[in-house]
Amino acid sequence: MTASTLEPSPVQAPVGGPLTWVRSRLFPNLRSSILTVLLTPLLAYALYRAVLFFFVNGRWDVVTRNLTLFMQGTYPRDQQWRIVTQIIVLAFAFGVGAATSAASQVDAAREAGLPVVKQGFLSVLKRFWSVIAFVLLLLYFANTATPWLVMGGAIAAFALGSLARFIPRRFRSVGWTLSVLALVAAFQVVAGTVGYSWMITAVVLAAGAWSAFKFEGVEGRRAVVYRGLAAVAAAVVTYLVYMQLVFPGVGWDHWSGLHLTLWVSAFAIVLSFPLGLILALARRSSFPVLRWLATGYIELIRGVPLITLLFMGQYILGFMLPQGTDPSSITRAITAMALFTAAYVAEIVRGGLQSIPHGQTEAALALGLPTGKMMRMIILPQALRAVIPALVGQFISIFKDSSLLEIIAIDEFLGVRSLVHAQADFRVVAHAETLVFVAIGYWAFAYAMSRESQRLEVRLRAGRK
Amino acid sequence: MLRVAGQVAAVVVVFLILQWLIGNLVTNYGRLNISFDFGFLNQPTQFQIANHPQFNPRSPVWRMVLVGVKNTALAGVFGIALAGVLGLIIGIGRLSQNWLAAKLSAAYVEFFRNIPPLVVIVFFAFAVFLYGPLPNLRQAIEIPLFGTGRTALILSNAEWGVPGMRSTGNLLAFGVSALVAVVAAAVVWRWRTRLNERSGEPHHRVLWSLGVLLAILVVSYVALGGPLVIDWPQLSENRRRIASGFSINSGFMSVAGALGLYTASHVAEIIRGSILAVPWGQTEASFALALTNFQRYRFVVLPQAMRIAVPPLINQALNLIKNTSLAAAVGYAEITTLTQTSIGNGRPAVQSVVILMVVYLGFSLLVSLILNIVNRRLQLVTR
Repeated sequence: MTASTLEPSPVQAPVGGPLTWVRSRLFPNLRSSILTVLLTPLLAYALYRAVLFFFVNGRWDVVTRNLTLFMQGTYPRDQQWRIVTQIIVLAFAFGVGAATSAASQVDAAREAGLPVVKQGFLSVLKRFWSVIAFVLLLLYFANTATPWLVMGGAIAAFALGSLARFIPRRFRSVGWTLSVLALVAAFQVVAGTVGYSWMITAVVLAAGAWSAFKFEGVEGRRAVVYRGLAAVAAAVVTYLVYMQLVFPGVGWDHWSGLHLTLWVSAFAIVLSFPLGLILALARRSSFPVLRWLATGYIELIRGVPLITLLFMGQYILGFMLPQGTDPSSITRAITAMALFTAAYVAEIVRGGLQSIPHGQTEAALALGLPTGKMMRMIILPQALRAVIPALVGQFISIFKDSSLLEIIAIDEFLGVRSLVHAQADFRVVAHAETLVFVAIGYWAFAYAMSRESQRLEVRLRAGRK
Repeated sequence: MLRVAGQVAAVVVVFLILQWLIGNLVTNYGRLNISFDFGFLNQPTQFQIANHPQFNPRSPVWRMVLVGVKNTALAGVFGIALAGVLGLIIGIGRLSQNWLAAKLSAAYVEFFRNIPPLVVIVFFAFAVFLYGPLPNLRQAIEIPLFGTGRTALILSNAEWGVPGMRSTGNLLAFGVSALVAVVAAAVVWRWRTRLNERSGEPHHRVLWSLGVLLAILVVSYVALGGPLVIDWPQLSENRRRIASGFSINSGFMSVAGALGLYTASHVAEIIRGSILAVPWGQTEASFALALTNFQRYRFVVLPQAMRIAVPPLINQALNLIKNTSLAAAVGYAEITTLTQTSIGNGRPAVQSVVILMVVYLGFSLLVSLILNIVNRRLQLVTR
């Protein structure tokens, strides 16, 4: 620490009983005392009204009777087993992912000779308390046993997935492949395995084969060829298997409710990242035309609201494709959201790229690395690591913005409201109850994400010192 | 050589994709016999806009665009004002020594930052106004002004009536004198500032300028025989609309209010961050000078914090303007709502969305222009 910066001395915790605490935190001087005296009755009244609303007057039957509608909207009820399976498979995927991540952190700590800090169960509860609380709220509102059974199944699947921590270190990548594969499977349980869905699985399995078979005994270039062959073989086998499978599903134009909100956000996030990365690199390219194109795109998109892009998707995109191709309105909305977020991701990544000292580039050039390798191995890992918190912030934003689909008549979590209040019993009542419930739902997920991003920020800053 | 070839290839690919998309667009438009010109702007809109009696279905589309731009600007300006004031209070409140104030501010920020602004807007429109506790216009609550027999405020779930201003003639002359008053006040401000710089006398420029402004306004008001009178709110005979006074519709209050509350949480975080970013030595120095708490904030901490805060605050203002487009969910007649209705009425989609985007780009440019000038004036002048 340099001598010129003076840090405030940490506030001394008051010693003594609760009375000392009250005096020092609520009545330290006249102005503060006045503030306390003014705020206390206001707060008390607000709390009184809140208690009345939540426990006495609130028509919460609007939620209990429509819980399924909020969760899955107009999704066909006879196909509900698919969503149930999806939740359980997702829990398995998260279990495998969490266990693998924890195991590789332990490995890294051992390698560096650092003490291994075990992440307790309690710390996970603390990190995701808002989502857990929301799930408990859902269970509280549940009328039937199904949500409880699903919950039990999900916990069991998560525990089963956690067994992945026993995968030996050499096959750590298998854990990651298994986790991503389970994610894909969870999606396809509902969406079916028709059309081009084999491609996603093939890519995952090919990448998995590439990183699982290291061919350590084989000479450099030969090993690359062997690994490539293994990857291609995995892809071909996937294709052949998928051609045999007959497993039609429920396409996402039939999804709605919270289920749709979560998947739409996930897709927009996943698609916007590579697009944003390409845009950021293009904006810093040495080739002027590319730079102008990227700059123009980014500035144009950042100057208009998301809804204009959604309008473009709804009203114009159809005209821009050849006659006959008619993507569903959800596909068009996801495209618009990804194109929109990409511009913001690009600016964040550009900030990261600019924060890398030029010495890094020079050092890489001095080592004789070609530009592509320099970017991939030196610049991007540092740049991306620096901007992870900002990226998470952007992803929270796109999650919240998925509520805009209501405006273009897609019934996501907020849009289900219109179905609920079309019912005779709730035409003019319980609007506040519905919206508070929806707000709590959005809040639970967004708050958990923002806490994670703060945690990451602290950890990354610690790594810098 | 290879790099140049790769980049040329990238540009060609982008060009080809654009050409393909636009080619399809031209073909499809030709097939459906839709033209690309903006002639539809002169055609009648064929729909009515609520709360705009001077606008009728025969009014041309370009007038609809103007109404939309006006309403977007109104919601934006009021939203920004609310967000600024509330955000400043909450941001400072979060740093307060008072435990209650700090915790309440923190809870406010954590709540509003993590819910979609659209949920807040819809909550206001449906749970506070339309189906909220207020009665409809027929049974509107009329709050009387004590002892005068006049109504000060009309509250209903669709619109509120507040006192407004009504002209009784001579408005132009009064407008000119108001302009003169503003100019005179500015001149006095400069004069006091100069005097202070030359002689070190206290300038009291706020008092002086306000005094001059009010004096000229009052004198001209009296001289012109009262060109403006207060227009008290009143319901029409059949209690179907607010006949006089100034009426504010619930759509406007929902959008401006909700966006103000939502954006205030972001503003508060920016204010807090920038106050914390002012070096602690500055605070210690002001303690050493025995400045009061208010003086410390007003003359030492806030001026420096503002320098850090202004660029992100500009971003928030831009976000708020763009977020007014969410009004489309509650039917407040701003540009997005009107464009959506207009496209639904068969106006060509491509041109309508292009106009919509140009309007928002215009707003973004205008706001960033104004605020960048402010920013430049606030920044430290290095000598």
